[in-house]
Amino acid sequence: MKLELGKILIQDVQFGDKTEVVNGTLFVNKEEIVELVLEDDRLIGADVELARPGEAVRIAPVKDVIEPRVKVTGGGALFPGMINKVEQVGSGRTHALVGATVITCGQIVGFQEGLIDMSGPAAKYCPFSKTNNVVLVIKPADGLETHDYETAGRLAGLKVAAYVGEAGRNIEPDEVVVYETKPLLEQALQYPDLPKIGYVHMLQSQGLLHDTYYYGVDAKQLVPTFMYPTEIMDGAIVSGNCVAPCDKVTTFHHLNNPIIEDLFKRHGKDLNFMGVVLTNENVFLADKDRSSDMTAKLCHFLGFEGVIISEEGYGNPDTDLMMNCQKVSQKGIKVVLITDEFPGRDGKSQSLADTVDEADALVSCGNGNMIIHFPPMEKVIGTLDFIETMIGGYEGSLKPDGSIEAELQIVIASTIANGYNRLAARGH
Amino acid sequence: MNKLIITNNSLVFEKYHSNYDVIYLKDAGYLDVLYAARDRIHLSYVLLTHPMAGSLKPNQTPYKSIIVAQGENGLDIESVVLIENSISAAQKFLRDRGTPSWSEKILSDFRTVDLSLMEDAIQKRSLIAI
Repeated sequence: MKLELGKILIQDVQFGDKTEVVNGTLFVNKEEIVELVLEDDRLIGADVELARPGEAVRIAPVKDVIEPRVKVTGGGALFPGMINKVEQVGSGRTHALVGATVITCGQIVGFQEGLIDMSGPAAKYCPFSKTNNVVLVIKPADGLETHDYETAGRLAGLKVAAYVGEAGRNIEPDEVVVYETKPLLEQALQYPDLPKIGYVHMLQSQGLLHDTYYYGVDAKQLVPTFMYPTEIMDGAIVSGNCVAPCDKVTTFHHLNNPIIEDLFKRHGKDLNFMGVVLTNENVFLADKDRSSDMTAKLCHFLGFEGVIISEEGYGNPDTDLMMNCQKVSQKGIKVVLITDEFPGRDGKSQSLADTVDEADALVSCGNGNMIIHFPPMEKVIGTLDFIETMIGGYEGSLKPDGSIEAELQIVIASTIANGYNRLAARGH
Repeated sequence: MNKLIITNNSLVFEKYHSNYDVIYLKDAGYLDVLYAARDRIHLSYVLLTHPMAGSLKPNQTPYKSIIVAQGENGLDIESVVLIENSISAAQKFLRDRGTPSWSEKILSDFRTVDLSLMEDAIQKRSLIAI
């Protein structure tokens, strides 16, 4: 499967009469966006605000972040099974508005994620302090049940990202990157002397606000399967996870999975990137047994010699991570894990909730328990009402002057466990 | 195999007590639910769900639900290790900062999410043998 990804670089975002891209500036029509969102009568209010890098703006609480893209050629359309038909994606040509995002913001439960600062000391922990953001603040109908509000919020973000992405359809991209994975046996033969590397991508799958979707299928219902890496670039995987800000994988992060990106960079040079095994992180232990058995079986069956495994979340998912690590290793395949850590404020406690002997190679994405201080921001998009109830916040976190003292895990994607961040750990 | 649901969440109790065995630890804390599961595991019960289900941390949500089942093979070491690790992890978070006294609206949200974490496990997996 081969995809050409055309990157249209966005340097600014402004409101305009027409949603379009002109010389690197994304213009968005506010009224059309609001009208689109309010087609869903589960939502009774929608507002659109813009947040640009360097501005003294704080956005909270954040539900999802999505990169605007459009399917130019090739089968299917963006976010299959969610806002478009289920037709397979990942081939042909797709354009992405790189440097722009759509962010959904709105209270679903009193303790959800998470915040983004566009400037100041917290900005460096979040990639969205450097993007031009179209922030959609949504309001649910009175008494709307939580599951319905989550669904409505999720779909609103995807619809707006696809609507904005359309502005890139006929624009000549600044850069076109070609990604190709051949069918398995051909791929193996293409680089016969290079090690065959697979990526095991664990999807969050526990329940309300903890779900992920593959072509619209709830990941709780999946058995492990094999995906061409380019499918993810067209939105085959969408986030419904919205509870732990620091290591929640936003839909943006699925579209821009850094492990897939880096494996492709080295594909044909020092490794042969064979493809992606998708698996889940269910609460039911028998599901974990089944999924980890099947993940190891697939890795072995597909001839991987080395595997990178990433997870989403902490606690329950750490057990899946270790089961996958152990069973894949026992098939004679080398395994490296990538994850973030929660070793307590002093960094001295166990980082993960589980471990196995085979987990001897791990790349850390940082400590979510670190305390940081954020100054007040001139403008707040959304509300600060829930800062103290977000994960990472606590009573007294929000000071009277609007500054915040909280654990790093309150910042969206700060320690994201697929490595799309700037934190690490070293042993001494 | 008889499932036993151990919970301090009134929504879980209300939804399932008619059709399943539920130990409802009303007004008990998060750790109390883990301890109750641990005590039964030492009497040869087996864990069916992961004690650390959900991304809400132990010093954030006051609610916890765990499903166990009467085992037939004596002490299940994997269940012992898993519950002890979970207790240890919960104690680590609670040591850093205790669970706040939340408003009723937020408590209701926590109950809703905890129930959701259990629903898939309870309803769709009832025929699986351990």
